Amino acid sequence: MSTRNPQKSKPDSKEDDMLIDIVGDDNDNNKMNAGDDGANGYSWEEEYKRSWDILEEDEDGSLKNSIANIQNQKRRRLIRDTETLQRGIIRHVYIVIDVSSNMADRDMHPTRISVVLKALEKFIHEFFDQNPISQLGIIVTKDGLADKLTNLSGNPMDHIKQLSDKKVKDLSGDPSIQNALDMAIDSLKHTPTHGSREVIAIFGSLTTCDPGDISKTTEQLKKNKIRVSMVHLAAEVFIFKQLCMQTKGHFSVALNEDHFGDIFLESIPPPPAVVDEKINSLQNSNMLVMMGFPKRLKDSVVPTHCVCHHNLTFNGYQCPQCKSKVCSLPNNCDVCALALVSSPHLARSYHHLFPCPNFEQIDDSKAPNNLVLAETCYGCLSPLSLPVQKEQPTKNKETSKGSKQTHMVQVMGPTYRYKCPKCQKQFCIECDIFIHENLHNCPGCCATANPQ
Amino acid sequence: MIDDLPVIFPYDYIYPEQYEYMCDLKRSLDCKGHCLLEMPSGTGKTVSLLSLIISYQLHYPETRKLVYCSRTVPEIDKALMELKRLMEYRQAHGANDPSFIGLGLTSRKNLCLNPDVNKHREGRIVDAKCRDRTASWNRRNILEQTTAATPNNDDDGDEIELCPFYETLETSSKETSMPLPSGVYTMDDLKDFGQKMTYCPYYLARRMIPFANVIIYSYHYMLDPKVADLVSKEFSKDTIVVFDEAHNIDSTCFEALSVDLNTNVLEASSRSIKKLSQRVEQIKQEDSQKLKDEYEKLVEGLRMTTEARDEDLILANPILPDDLLKEAVPGNIRQAQHFVQFLNRLIEYLRARMRVRHVVAETPTSFLHHLREITYIDAKPLRFSAERLSSLVRTLELTDLEDYWALSRVASFATICSTYEKGFMVLFEPYENDTDKSPNPILHLTCLDPSIVVQPVFNRFSTVVVTSGTLSPLDMYPRMLKIYPVIQKSYTMSLTRSCFLPMVITRGSDQVAMSSKFEVRSDPAVVRNFGNLLIECARVVPDGVVAFFPSYLYMESIVAMWNEMGVLRDVWKHKLIFVETPDAAETSVALANYRAACCNGRGAVLLSVARGKVSEGIDFDHNYGRAVVMFGIPYQYTESRILRARLEYLREECEIRENDFLTFDAMRHAAQCMGRVLRGKTDYGLMVLADKRYGRADKLSKLPKWIQNCVSETATNLSTDMGVSMMKRFLKSMAQPFDQIGQLGVSLWSLKDIETHQKGKNATAATQKVAANTNGSSAVVPSG
Repeated sequence: MSTRNPQKSKPDSKEDDMLIDIVGDDNDNNKMNAGDDGANGYSWEEEYKRSWDILEEDEDGSLKNSIANIQNQKRRRLIRDTETLQRGIIRHVYIVIDVSSNMADRDMHPTRISVVLKALEKFIHEFFDQNPISQLGIIVTKDGLADKLTNLSGNPMDHIKQLSDKKVKDLSGDPSIQNALDMAIDSLKHTPTHGSREVIAIFGSLTTCDPGDISKTTEQLKKNKIRVSMVHLAAEVFIFKQLCMQTKGHFSVALNEDHFGDIFLESIPPPPAVVDEKINSLQNSNMLVMMGFPKRLKDSVVPTHCVCHHNLTFNGYQCPQCKSKVCSLPNNCDVCALALVSSPHLARSYHHLFPCPNFEQIDDSKAPNNLVLAETCYGCLSPLSLPVQKEQPTKNKETSKGSKQTHMVQVMGPTYRYKCPKCQKQFCIECDIFIHENLHNCPGCCATANPQ
Repeated sequence: MIDDLPVIFPYDYIYPEQYEYMCDLKRSLDCKGHCLLEMPSGTGKTVSLLSLIISYQLHYPETRKLVYCSRTVPEIDKALMELKRLMEYRQAHGANDPSFIGLGLTSRKNLCLNPDVNKHREGRIVDAKCRDRTASWNRRNILEQTTAATPNNDDDGDEIELCPFYETLETSSKETSMPLPSGVYTMDDLKDFGQKMTYCPYYLARRMIPFANVIIYSYHYMLDPKVADLVSKEFSKDTIVVFDEAHNIDSTCFEALSVDLNTNVLEASSRSIKKLSQRVEQIKQEDSQKLKDEYEKLVEGLRMTTEARDEDLILANPILPDDLLKEAVPGNIRQAQHFVQFLNRLIEYLRARMRVRHVVAETPTSFLHHLREITYIDAKPLRFSAERLSSLVRTLELTDLEDYWALSRVASFATICSTYEKGFMVLFEPYENDTDKSPNPILHLTCLDPSIVVQPVFNRFSTVVVTSGTLSPLDMYPRMLKIYPVIQKSYTMSLTRSCFLPMVITRGSDQVAMSSKFEVRSDPAVVRNFGNLLIECARVVPDGVVAFFPSYLYMESIVAMWNEMGVLRDVWKHKLIFVETPDAAETSVALANYRAACCNGRGAVLLSVARGKVSEGIDFDHNYGRAVVMFGIPYQYTESRILRARLEYLREECEIRENDFLTFDAMRHAAQCMGRVLRGKTDYGLMVLADKRYGRADKLSKLPKWIQNCVSETATNLSTDMGVSMMKRFLKSMAQPFDQIGQLGVSLWSLKDIETHQKGKNATAATQKVAANTNGSSAVVPSG
């Protein structure tokens, strides 16, 4: 299922790079010291974690500034390309995990692999939450071999259960990117063309132990339009970077645990669809995908088998085409291969296509004069601090108490408000984050939108 | 763009240091003085140099020729490519430069098109074969033979054909003076052109030198007196000479004037003397007129040279002192057979010297004295022996010049030895090294004073630019070469991120100090620590790692020990291992495989030697070299007698202490090795100096400024594990995406930035003036 916007835009990779860069800068300052350690990984060999340094009291002993800073960082992370462009919201993703001996390295705590697995679990949940009609599979690689942990499936629990498998816990040998990718290619080749195909690899090893020429695999990937992205835990490796660049994916290196989590979760929103000039007009423009919206079966007295797991269940969904019963949505009907979704799933996927615009940040003290500064946040009605110049004339006549207050306002440093570029409503930072992270719709725009 | 000179720079953005570089260059061009400039590798030295000088050339009416000397053939070619790009850019931007010619010159070996000749791989043979085909008397002979159609060849058994490429060039150049249309020619272009027109590219290039605006060739054509005489003597005084990659200019000078003789050479030369005398006899019987002519000419030479003296002052032969040119060939060797006998005596004498079984080191004066006592050969005829030999060869119309190389070497030995009293030493070593039992005597005539070679060049040309990525410490070169630059400057690199991390690792994880000092270098603890460092590097650094050792000998011993300790096996787990050997072919195979391994993700370690082929001229950019590890300090082999003599000379003549020179020399090589890793601003790399002694200030201060700036206090005394954690952090932060936008205005300047910079400069100058004035006035007020 794809929608298309006539206004074609450049691939947003550059923008995303910037995004990562920003995060990187922050971490350079604040977290660089925290994430690394010596060769042996004993905690006493590390440099000090001076996490308290980030927190700075202002003159009144308030931590508000520091907290605001942290929130600002979070907000900056959220600024992303909001141009509406074609994104494949039906995704077929293989996650390749390096389970070689290099993953036992303790430069992330407790070990690289456990950090990865923890993040992966979160990723899987988040992924299906945001991309309900997509599918995921996991491949692990070690000893120069690749092993498929789970097949493509739309059920998060399938994957999470497998993560505690012995295959993942035993770390040995060197990984093989080529074997893993070949395996992914074999499987992704058969997925329908309307979905996007992706491989997300997490590597900790600086070498890869390949049976043949990796460039052939790259060719295969390009031919099959599979996008490879990689998060590396140690350093930039030429071949991996090249692989990602050639397949139009992202290559990033994690600085520490938090950074790893951030850049890993960045692959949750679907990437823009690769627009292929040649077949663009024919294939991509108006392709319709058949989907079924199954009816929920009422609790029956006698349990019946579902076609997907052959379990006896009391309730389920009925495929509108072949009338067979599946136990969960979204799913593909095992009998007639119809994609079964429910309308909320589709709706949830839509926000990637029409994201909420980034709000403009306005520094109160430097706000242009023609702008009417709202006193409260449009979202939560909490007061937005007023700019100093406006307060001063009223407080001039007052006593020392008043002057103290103005003083305090000044100490607070720059205060920001956030304005929706469409409806011009102003929000506080908390609402800004909430709107972009969870709501995906601007309340101001929704309220003022004309009823038609 | 700069001052009043419009400079066309072929890129949209310019690095600030490039701008400064060009400013300084321009200043020294204006005042016609020499300059010494150090700029970090990979910051576009060549292009800024070329674009400024060419703009300068074309802007001012009196065209000053540019002679650009580089070190190796690939570097020459790179410079030519850069020039070509620049000219295309100029064309595209409306600068019309008709009749601009830029070309490169290299040896016949690289340029020859004749299939019979260029199948030989050794340069010397190719040269000789080519000369066989092109020497005028041979050509005449052959032409006569072919016209007479008599296959009866009584000169020699070899059948020699004419080189078609040379012939067509010869005929066409009679018709037109400019066989080459204007433009910029790289080596390949020149060859293609030659192929198309059947011109010999080598001679074409040589012929075009007087017409060309830019000539790019190797040092030797400028410095080596034997070659410079042929190629470079026609340049006028205001020619701009550039020595790029000039950090080794002194060793090139040493090489140019040093002659080694061993028994093989003597054997070969006595053989050729025999041949020569036969030939003289033969000629005497057949055609005594010719010898007489020659004799006459030599007598007349006396008069001729005095007439030509005025010219000589301008086009002074770069090497032989003027007084030598004023004299004619002395009488006792004017006769051909006398000269042959003379040479014979000389060789006998040398052979007698070779029988001695102990080391002798003496000055040329004492050598000559001894020579005269034994053989009654005077210094004066000796001085002319090389000239006389070449004249004889010309008269005798000899072919097969390759047979005579040994003899000519002896002759040049004699000439140099008798010409210079100072700055040289005759050194006789009966054994190759101290442990050898079988004698392999070698007679070295070593040049001790690089200024002898360089001085004429600096005196002759008004502007000589000496530039390289590693020239620090800058004051060393002027002292050593006895030159007086108007500008000497070292530029730092303006960076938006610190893209290289030099660090000094002084001890292993077990706190045992690491050093390649002679006393401890084979200590197992030290070797193990070096090994551990390599393992850790292999483990942590992606793709390519290059490790440098001070010498082949040391590398061999340490690798053997590593093998026993199992270090190599551990390295092998992470990366493949390649080793540089003295054999060039083997090394190039190793390099190719190394690059392949870096590209396909396997990763590789290259073990190589500072001062080796790898350390000079081979770039390890991006993934080919993410880290350089220097094991120990690459000091020269101090037991070498030649080095000792040189050091002594430097101390006496240039007031440079031995230790200073040794450290200087070692550190410039270390810097050179480290510079290999960084080629450009988007690149990044680690530089690991593993030796306790690097931690000292006297070593670090001798590194180039751009490296010094990045050495942080904490990184000067690390143990292996601390170093590794720094490496990890560095690599991670460097792998973060890096975009151009942040660089703009900081390390990339557009035209606008430059203008603001200029304005700012003027403004600060003005404010300083004002401040000075106010200071002055305020000082006046109280007194008044």
